[in-house]
Amino acid sequence: MIARTLTRMSLADIRPGQAAIAILIAAFLLLFLVIPVIRVVFVAFQDPATGGFTLVHFLDFFRTDLFIRSFWNSFYVSSMSVVIATIFALPLAYITSRFNFRGTILIQTLGVVPLIMPPFIGAVAMQLLFGRNGTINMMLHDTFGFRIPFMEGLNGVIFVQSIHFFPFILINLSASLRNIDRSMEEAAQNLGSSGFRLFRRIVFPLAMPGYIAGASLVFIKVFDDLGTPLLLNVNDMLAPQAYLRISSIGINDPMGYVISVVLVVCSLLALWVAALAMKGKDYATVQRGGGGLTKRNMRPWEKVAAYAIVILILFLVLAPHLGLTLLSFATIWSFSPLPDGYTLRHYETVIFESSQFIRNTLLYASMAAGIDVIIGTAIAYLVLRTKLVGRQWLDYMAMAALAVPGVVLGIGYLRTFYTVDMPFTGQPLTSFWLVLVIALAIRRLPYALRACTAALQQVSEALEEAAENLGATKARTIRKIVVPLMSGGILAGFITSFATAAVELSATIMLVQSTSDAPLAYGLYVFMQSAAGRGPGAALGILAVLIVGACTYLSHVIIERGRERRGEKSH
Amino acid sequence: MNQISELARKAGTRSVGVHIAGVNLSYGKHHVLKDVSLDIQPGEFFAFLGPSGCGKTTLLRLIAGFNTAQSGVVKIGEEDVSRLPPWRRDVGMVFQSYALWPHMSIRRNVAFGLEERRVPRAEVAERVEWALELVGLKHLADRYPSQLSGGQQQRVALARTVVVQPKVLLLDEPLSNLDAKLRVQMRRELRDLQQELGLTTIFVTHDQEEANTVCDRIAVMSDGVIQQVGTPMSLYDQPGNLFVAGFLGTANVLSGKIGRDGNGRAVFLGGEGITVPLAETPPDGAEGSLMFRPQSVTLRPGDAPASPGMAQLRGTVLHSEFLGASIRYAVTVGQSQVQIDVPHHGDAELIENGSAVCLELDTAKTRFLHG
Amino acid sequence: MRKTVTAIALAATMLTTTAGVAMAQSPSGRVVVVTSFPNDLTSAFQQAFQAAYPGVTLEVQNRNTNAGVKYLQETAANNATDLFWASAPDAFEVLKEAGLLAQYTPKVEGIPDRIGAYHMNDPEGYYSGFAASGYGIMWNTRYLQANDLPAPKEWDDLAKPIYFDHVAMAAPSRSGTTHLTIETILQGEGWDKGWKTLKEISGNFRTITERSFGVPDGVNTGSFGLGIVIDFFALSSQASGFPVDMVYPTVTTIVPANIAIVKNAPNRAGAEAFIDFLLSEEGQEILLNPAIRRLPVNPKTYAKAPEGYPNPFEDTSLGAAVNFDVNVSQARYNVVDALFDQLVTFQLAELKTATQAIQRAEIALEKKDNAEARALVEEARALIAAMPITEAQASDPSIAGAFGGGGGEARQAELEQGWASFARTNYGNARQKAEQALKMLR
Repeated sequence: MIARTLTRMSLADIRPGQAAIAILIAAFLLLFLVIPVIRVVFVAFQDPATGGFTLVHFLDFFRTDLFIRSFWNSFYVSSMSVVIATIFALPLAYITSRFNFRGTILIQTLGVVPLIMPPFIGAVAMQLLFGRNGTINMMLHDTFGFRIPFMEGLNGVIFVQSIHFFPFILINLSASLRNIDRSMEEAAQNLGSSGFRLFRRIVFPLAMPGYIAGASLVFIKVFDDLGTPLLLNVNDMLAPQAYLRISSIGINDPMGYVISVVLVVCSLLALWVAALAMKGKDYATVQRGGGGLTKRNMRPWEKVAAYAIVILILFLVLAPHLGLTLLSFATIWSFSPLPDGYTLRHYETVIFESSQFIRNTLLYASMAAGIDVIIGTAIAYLVLRTKLVGRQWLDYMAMAALAVPGVVLGIGYLRTFYTVDMPFTGQPLTSFWLVLVIALAIRRLPYALRACTAALQQVSEALEEAAENLGATKARTIRKIVVPLMSGGILAGFITSFATAAVELSATIMLVQSTSDAPLAYGLYVFMQSAAGRGPGAALGILAVLIVGACTYLSHVIIERGRERRGEKSH
Repeated sequence: MNQISELARKAGTRSVGVHIAGVNLSYGKHHVLKDVSLDIQPGEFFAFLGPSGCGKTTLLRLIAGFNTAQSGVVKIGEEDVSRLPPWRRDVGMVFQSYALWPHMSIRRNVAFGLEERRVPRAEVAERVEWALELVGLKHLADRYPSQLSGGQQQRVALARTVVVQPKVLLLDEPLSNLDAKLRVQMRRELRDLQQELGLTTIFVTHDQEEANTVCDRIAVMSDGVIQQVGTPMSLYDQPGNLFVAGFLGTANVLSGKIGRDGNGRAVFLGGEGITVPLAETPPDGAEGSLMFRPQSVTLRPGDAPASPGMAQLRGTVLHSEFLGASIRYAVTVGQSQVQIDVPHHGDAELIENGSAVCLELDTAKTRFLHG
Repeated sequence: MRKTVTAIALAATMLTTTAGVAMAQSPSGRVVVVTSFPNDLTSAFQQAFQAAYPGVTLEVQNRNTNAGVKYLQETAANNATDLFWASAPDAFEVLKEAGLLAQYTPKVEGIPDRIGAYHMNDPEGYYSGFAASGYGIMWNTRYLQANDLPAPKEWDDLAKPIYFDHVAMAAPSRSGTTHLTIETILQGEGWDKGWKTLKEISGNFRTITERSFGVPDGVNTGSFGLGIVIDFFALSSQASGFPVDMVYPTVTTIVPANIAIVKNAPNRAGAEAFIDFLLSEEGQEILLNPAIRRLPVNPKTYAKAPEGYPNPFEDTSLGAAVNFDVNVSQARYNVVDALFDQLVTFQLAELKTATQAIQRAEIALEKKDNAEARALVEEARALIAAMPITEAQASDPSIAGAFGGGGGEARQAELEQGWASFARTNYGNARQKAEQALKMLR
């Protein structure tokens, strides 16, 4: 076995540069992900009395009805969220990439906006609109005398989560659709396939890498998210159970850590299944520029239907923002379909008193997203294009960050770095805001990594070989050929990481050391803890959405312009 | 062409040979190249010919540096490049898919290699102009690859490669994505270009006609082994084995063994009265096949007497195809079936199916092949 | 020449050094406070304090009580926090037990020793009360009107069938203040009666929130009608304009919200100055601010309060009914939380179904009495009220120890699973009995 590996790995395949980069990344991940997490989860394997190794806590996990129920609830909610998110994402992705549709860029941008919603205020807004005494149900009840239980129990979690996370599918699926070689579609048409059959049999399978990347992200995120269930007071799911137990005062119960381990294992399993589903499907179809699907014009009735579907979906997925906007202008909104009155006061409060939150957020989130796409591109390249031993482990390690609850990472950082002093200032390392940036980068790395991997999978290796053949070294090939060709995917990864890092709370809350260094999510959290803070909190949320949304829109414009310049847009 | 010659002189091409010795390469258990050795002369237009999966592209990529052999040496000129990365080998490769970078204009695609070689900017511009003019695409310099037709893309790929004046030009099935007419035109252009530039060129193809028309010499490959190296004509006329015989043109094959006639001369015994005197003298009793081309046979109706220097076989016409310049007959001889081409001069009648015929075989044009 | 310069420099250094020592007495620099209080409260104090002590900056880190305690525990090895500032006295007990607090006696005079039945300050001087809060019932007036519900007065009222699915409370394991409410009821009504009341009220819950603020938030928006809250949530919501009101039930306790200096505080002088500022007349007046609304601990401040402001020093009924025993509370702190989680929070659906069945049967009984049915309903009630452990067991180290991270005979997960299945079986049986009774009455 070893001998065979050795013969395959001949000397020329090992490049010191690649190895050095791999080691650097591995060291970064070890230091900022693995070690902190191990310092927390080893409690799961520790006998409380003797301190020795034990598996009895895992036995307890399987013996406890609550945990088993929580497990199945989490599984059900995650699967249903993937289904609902697909129902939201598929029409948007298809209509915008298949037809000449006015407002494509707008849809692509608005479709990403739900990600920019800090989960807990998203749920607040959804309660206001869809809750038992929310706008819709109040009107239904007054007019027809019944209510729809949108937000009851697990329904609420599924509804909020699928709205919040569906952009993962939209972004990845759209990127894949754009990269499909037009001839694939034409070949199918030529063989007599058209319409929905063409989509189901050719287009969708070709876009599968993107869809699976997005769907597995949604599944794992919902599985691990604790903010939304907690805010909706649903506690019989795994992640909330872990959080409740880890962060409860005085309770030194190892079960929280056991559940964390279970979460990590389940997410790894989900990733493994996704990888298995993708095995042997080499969909590198970009050879002569890809070109995406042929865009055609819609017939009038198609146009009406398409607009109706798009508007309905956008209304649903933007409902939290709608609610939040109303809240940010509301004087008092209590047990009534709409607020009692409107005011600009909240914006005044936020702009004059809390602008540092926005500044900090933009700085932290863009730094974190920058780190993410650099590491993401590097890992994707090492995994897909080199033969380094153990390169797959870099991928696994980075993806494992998905499965680490933010609180676990936060506590891990405090445990690992608090006793380390910064050079010169003598302050604890954790009190330096850069630690927050690294925590955000680690938390969002999987998003960027999946986007980069999908992008690289669709770049034909011949394009790189052509450059090497013409005298470009590996490094220069990456800079001049690989990265520019991946730019769409990298940008998508950057946006996803940036937008979601901007609203990250769970790790932040453990690591923020002072209000002046705090990011937006923390500010929102603080505002939302008091009756008088709801309005300003909502206003801060809206400002965040606007700013991050504007950044997203801008990057879409840049992508589209690049494509148009290259003449890849057909009319 | 004059202009091209002048430009080629300006480019000052260097011609070097390629020397491959004892190369073995495997992926896991799959042995892709088996002890391959080859010498390609400076300025030669050389082809790797073989069916898909024979290892020809692997061998080409080995020269370019994209594959690494477990053993063996690759030399370009006097330099052993076996351990050099692709970017330090200075061999130009045109990819089957062309591999034009979609995010760069044609001009930038072509300039890429020069920029990598740190050529001064003014010279880059001049040489890009030269290369684009060479392939006749100067007017499309600012377009993007997706805006070009297949043939145009092919020329860009070629321009991008020759502009850096590589020591060796490698072409990986460059014509396979083009239509037939364009293919014929492009292969002539390729040949002209190669002649003008005097560039050592290796051409991978599975199409024997393509190889025959443009190449000085061909290495026929099968199953990771070089079966035979030679000029197109020698390979056709004197194939070293059945594979080469069958891959280059139509070959009629009768199996049997070597015996002696009354005069002690070597004859081929094919059974059922098939006895063919041989020009060569293989060892007595050797088993093998007798190979001859369809046009080496003269067909006579009935049982006419044998002409001198000719071996005579009897057979039955199975069917016939009129091909214009000739008529191809399928004839059963003993257990075997052979193809025979009869030139058509506009006066002969078609021999009817089922007729007994007499085949006169030019013994100087038969070959005994072992195995 | 050079020597003189050196000498001067040396003198200057010495001077600044002495000055530095002298300065340590008067506050300066950065004071870091970890607090669970909302921005409305902290920023008011921050501004006033910084105005009173120029050169001092108050750095506020907002964390909920539990996360704050966790944070101080995790960072103790290299502490950078000066003050811990929060409501729940129990959190301070936990920190004190862990040896993470420093003793300090405030310099301000005229603060009473007790408020209601509660010690104002930690007798050992580890933490001091700066404001008082009582627990009560808050409701949304529009909601009650729309659903035709009367305003409640006592805890028992919340157990009435009319309030079914209209009430909410925070989980005591998530909210230090709610824990105190629970403990107050348990101490005021006794272990068994107290749990009976709690479970009867819980049977009417719409939801159990995971944050203290989740309750006033839900009442404010009208997601549910009534909530069990600490008074300032209701008072500040009212002051912000929400159509809400509240009442203090008789069995309540007025407890101080506290502040403490963290052990090895980097800026001890600044920390002391802030505590004294909080207790000063100026500091206490800030508590009357409409967005804050807490009860000052300095009786003199009430002179400046608006009319109708609750005054525990005058209104002796407030919080006097219970003699709250901190030691009892401390001994069973985690056990009470875990019991509530396992018997109520995680079994809420079953508890509600059973409660509803019983309520229906009782309504039917009022119309048509039937001794057998009445007995069944009584049995059902008893099944719901039944507790898996006794009061004595709750404080017994053999059980309480399991929740301290080892030391107990059983593991926490084992105990919890036992309690959960105990509750589920009982609630299921109770529902069956109630349904049986209802069938008899039809």
